[in-house]
Amino acid sequence: MNNGTSAIALREIKKTYKTGTLEVPVLHGIDLTVGHGEYVAIMGPSGSGKSTLMNIIGCLDRATSGTYVLDGEDVSHLNDNALAEIRLRKLGFVFQGFNLLARTDAIKNVSLPLFYAGVSGAERRRRAMAVLAEVGLTERAHHKPNELSGGQQQRVAIARALINDPAVLLADEPTGNLDTKTSADIMALFDKLHGSGRTIIMVTHDENVARRARRIIRILDGLIVADETPDATETTTTLRD
Amino acid sequence: MIYFEEAFRVLLANPVRTFLTIIGLIIGVGAVISIEVLGHSMAGSINETLGALADNSFIIFPVQTQKDFQKASLRLTDLDEITSSVPNVSSATVIGGVQELFRYEHNVGRFFMSADSNPPFANEPIKYGRTIDDDDIAQALDVVVISWKAYQRLFPDGGDPTGKSIYGGSRRYLVIGVRAQPRQGALNVNFGGDLSIPYTTYLREFVHGNRIFAARFTVNDPSSMTETEAAVIKRIRELRQVGSDVRYQTFDKAQFTQGVNSIFSAVTIVVGLIGAVSLLVAGIGVMNIMLVSITERTKEIGTRKAIGARRGQILTQFFIESALLSSIGCFTGMAIGLGIGGFVNSFFIVKLTGYTASLPYLQSFLITAIFAAIVTLAFGTYPAFRAAGLDPIEALRYE
Repeated sequence: MNNGTSAIALREIKKTYKTGTLEVPVLHGIDLTVGHGEYVAIMGPSGSGKSTLMNIIGCLDRATSGTYVLDGEDVSHLNDNALAEIRLRKLGFVFQGFNLLARTDAIKNVSLPLFYAGVSGAERRRRAMAVLAEVGLTERAHHKPNELSGGQQQRVAIARALINDPAVLLADEPTGNLDTKTSADIMALFDKLHGSGRTIIMVTHDENVARRARRIIRILDGLIVADETPDATETTTTLRD
Repeated sequence: MIYFEEAFRVLLANPVRTFLTIIGLIIGVGAVISIEVLGHSMAGSINETLGALADNSFIIFPVQTQKDFQKASLRLTDLDEITSSVPNVSSATVIGGVQELFRYEHNVGRFFMSADSNPPFANEPIKYGRTIDDDDIAQALDVVVISWKAYQRLFPDGGDPTGKSIYGGSRRYLVIGVRAQPRQGALNVNFGGDLSIPYTTYLREFVHGNRIFAARFTVNDPSSMTETEAAVIKRIRELRQVGSDVRYQTFDKAQFTQGVNSIFSAVTIVVGLIGAVSLLVAGIGVMNIMLVSITERTKEIGTRKAIGARRGQILTQFFIESALLSSIGCFTGMAIGLGIGGFVNSFFIVKLTGYTASLPYLQSFLITAIFAAIVTLAFGTYPAFRAAGLDPIEALRYE
């Protein structure tokens, strides 16, 4: 994955929504580079443009202008199917609401991206078991979402995001639907993934959650207003077991 | 195949909704297939019955209700005249018969005895002996072929009766053949009469004078039967010196078959209309439920797109779901239709016609497959495209 370039490189990213004749600028020119293995939190109040930025980083949306290079590949001007292909190969999504397929067991949920990638059934199962082990859910592989707790469901969702070995793991409020105890477990899992070299970009409202990241990007009115590197030493000691 | 697995899971997640959606298809296809089964067995039984008629001959007689009936009557001498002068006519024989009391030892019965020729008027199967041959006709022998009914009455002890003599009135006939037992059924037509004797024997014994009731002509080329019939009627009018106001009736197998076929094509049109209407109604139901399903699963579709599903993959998934829904409905309908058709067939039609038709499995399968394909294509395509075209961001935001 680490091919010398940065994981993501955004240059002069602008996004303007058109509603009828009215043009609403949301992003005014974002420059952001995230290196491989970084753990970044994006923070900002509602309407600041952080969701739009996240959608662009996640290749769900295209910038109106500017360039976006993801893992060495310029994705600024790709069409919908090419973007789907990029999401399939280079990105992993973790959502606030888990977004698992109901009535479908964990292993099948986890292996779904591989199905879309055309990987054979046996290989899908093998790799799904491997990522389920990584998130500590080997025992629950054949349980359906309604038989799992919220924290376990989010672990399944994280396993699904990891199965294609993505260049960037994108998490949108991953602890927003979880209680404090479970949130701590999930945050510990993100720490562990960061420790094993994953690149993580997380959107959150929660200052405590954001502080677990090694870098915090603050957005306001479509611009990056702060790029902080908190003192990590005291937090890491409590996190490593 | 994951697509089928997922489609099954979705359909089974809402069994009542799935059932209500496909019930229109079940009823529509069920109705079409059961009528198809019945039509098939009716057509089969009628063709079987008509199959006994020779297809290279026709009968002609003056219409009996007309004023000049006596004047219009055919004469025995006309037959040779027509055979030699009208093209395509190969032979002509008299048609006629008498009721008589027949006796063998102490067994008696009243039967209709008719004149027959070679080949026989009806190609009915023979149980014992043979049919009337050219020698019997040439020599006007007193030989008789008897029906199964007459055989049972006159020979209650069974066995091969050929070579034995029966008495009809004061005349003695040698039994040369027995026709096989006909199929049991109310619609069954006995074309041959009860007993058949050579028409030459009939002429000698029963026709006094020149006047005959009806005649049977055989033709060389059955494809120009209609033209030949017209030519024969024209010739008869010349010979009888009557005008075109005097009417003659003809009867041949093709006329009969055409009548039957026109009934069945009318039935087919009605069935087709029922099918088309039920297809439309049921298809709208399928489309409606697919659109509801897509709306309900907007977030799921957004998730699938976010994790990398391409447009075509979403399209395929929903298309397969429609196809599965339609196929389950249509093939359940087919099974029920075959069941109902088969039941009515074996409990009513067989009793009526005596003909046991096999169920038209292949035709039913093809009709059903075409139904399912049309419903899927016409009503599953739009929902599938709609799902595939959803914007992933909006779909993910949908609650």
